[in-house]
Amino acid sequence: MAAKNLTTQEGRGNRAEAHSNGVLAVEKVTKRFGPHIVLDNVSLSIEKGKTTVVIGPSGCGKTVLVKHLIALLRPTSGEVYFDGRRIDNLSEQDLNEVRTHFGFLFQGGALFDSLSDFENIKFPIRQNNKVKNWREVEELVKNKLAMVGLDGFQNYYPANLSGGQRKRVALARAIALNPEVLLYDEPTTGLDPIRSDVINELVLKLQRELGVTTVVVTHDMASAYKIADRIIMLHSGKIVADGDAEHIRNHPHPDVQHFINGQVSEDDLAILRMSGTASQAQFHPRDFEA
Amino acid sequence: MFATLGARTIAGVGNIGQFGRFCWQTMGVCLRGCWSHKTYPLIWTQMHIIGVRSVPVVMITGAFVGMTLAVQAYDQLAEMGFEERLGYLINVSVVKELGPVLAAVMLAGRVGGALTAELGTMNVTEQIDAVRSIGTDPISYLVAPRVLACLFLMPFLIIYANLLGILGGYFVGVVQFGINSWAYWNFSASGVELWDVAVGIIKGFFFGGAIAVISCYKGFTCKEGAQGVGRACTEAFVASFISILALDFILVVVFKAIYSTFWPFKSLIG
Repeated sequence: MAAKNLTTQEGRGNRAEAHSNGVLAVEKVTKRFGPHIVLDNVSLSIEKGKTTVVIGPSGCGKTVLVKHLIALLRPTSGEVYFDGRRIDNLSEQDLNEVRTHFGFLFQGGALFDSLSDFENIKFPIRQNNKVKNWREVEELVKNKLAMVGLDGFQNYYPANLSGGQRKRVALARAIALNPEVLLYDEPTTGLDPIRSDVINELVLKLQRELGVTTVVVTHDMASAYKIADRIIMLHSGKIVADGDAEHIRNHPHPDVQHFINGQVSEDDLAILRMSGTASQAQFHPRDFEA
Repeated sequence: MFATLGARTIAGVGNIGQFGRFCWQTMGVCLRGCWSHKTYPLIWTQMHIIGVRSVPVVMITGAFVGMTLAVQAYDQLAEMGFEERLGYLINVSVVKELGPVLAAVMLAGRVGGALTAELGTMNVTEQIDAVRSIGTDPISYLVAPRVLACLFLMPFLIIYANLLGILGGYFVGVVQFGINSWAYWNFSASGVELWDVAVGIIKGFFFGGAIAVISCYKGFTCKEGAQGVGRACTEAFVASFISILALDFILVVVFKAIYSTFWPFKSLIG
């Protein structure tokens, strides 16, 4: 009950805040896939020039939320704004211009596998006619790759790169048009801790050097604490916590504490115990500190 | 049971609507793409993949069709003493029907499957979303060049299939069965009018467009995972095959009506 009250209060706070000074805002957005509600009346505003991190367990709607910000998905109900302009009701043709203000790093990188790194980064530049001179394009691609520490990898193909390198090339492509907003979908997933930290440092570097508004979706708490100015936690399609790292660490909501401490909840444990395996003892949570 | 039937009907109508919208968008983008120099390199690349690389397989198909027809028809014609008219029969069959339809079926199998698999993989690995996120219309970048390449090159592939079909028939009829060469060519020329050749080529535009649009649509809407891509490829081929046969029937009826209408005026023209 206490948890529910907290959720409601945070929700009201967010709705009042939406539109106030945000470059991006979603207002009362609900998204359904068939009977399944993924986002449930979510409202939030993203502050310009800051790094906002969206955390939450797998399947809670983080990726769906970030895809709404660039209108790759349209809400079932509710509104999405960019720079005060409503974008969720625009045609795909009108959205093409809006999307040039964004850079999006997809979870798997989504590099065009038939193109080399050079061609991948050149793609948004040529498609949007930003630079016409061939030498300038070459120089620009070189600069973008240098920013992510991969200058010299121009002629490599995505298949020849490691997971971390692929994400960095994808990041170079995302910043090719000097976007105002950078959206990252699980940038450190599938990477070892060192490569994850390289990506975290890159997020910070790009935010510092380009002054972009950054939204990062992750369930990597070390990454969230390191890069976030503000952390938002989604749970079952609703925002259950919203504040800086300290606020999240001390948040009283049990779901928030379970998530940030990486603990399985009693409900999940009960389900596992009911599944009837030979040894039920294995489902007692281990206490590593004991 | 009624609920399932209703849900399937609604889903079916929804799919038809979605496909109709996809076709409409593609048509608009293709018309614009024809005049945009930015599209030309993309069309050129696709023409090489779709057209040039399909030439050998289409030629082999055409040759075997012609040879098989000759073997099948020779005995029956010889019984009636009409074996010298073998060229007539082969030309009419190949140019009017078998050449265009079988070349289109080969293209549906070779190119349609590849298009669906390529775009389907791009879809499930979020590459199509990546194109959109960059501010580029995926239909204009991915679909239009493929559709235009199929549209422009299918008629040429049909010409190759027809040519090899006739030569295949010649090889079996003249070289193997010893029909008079002059008779073969003479009857071949008398059996087929320019109109028949033109109809076969016009059919190619429709077949090429249908194969490309269906294959691209199936790729764009394929479900997640390897199974989803595999299923989309199968569905694309089946839908393309049925469309080719259905379009062939419709076009034959339409062109026959046009021919019958203008037949009386033919003598006035030529």
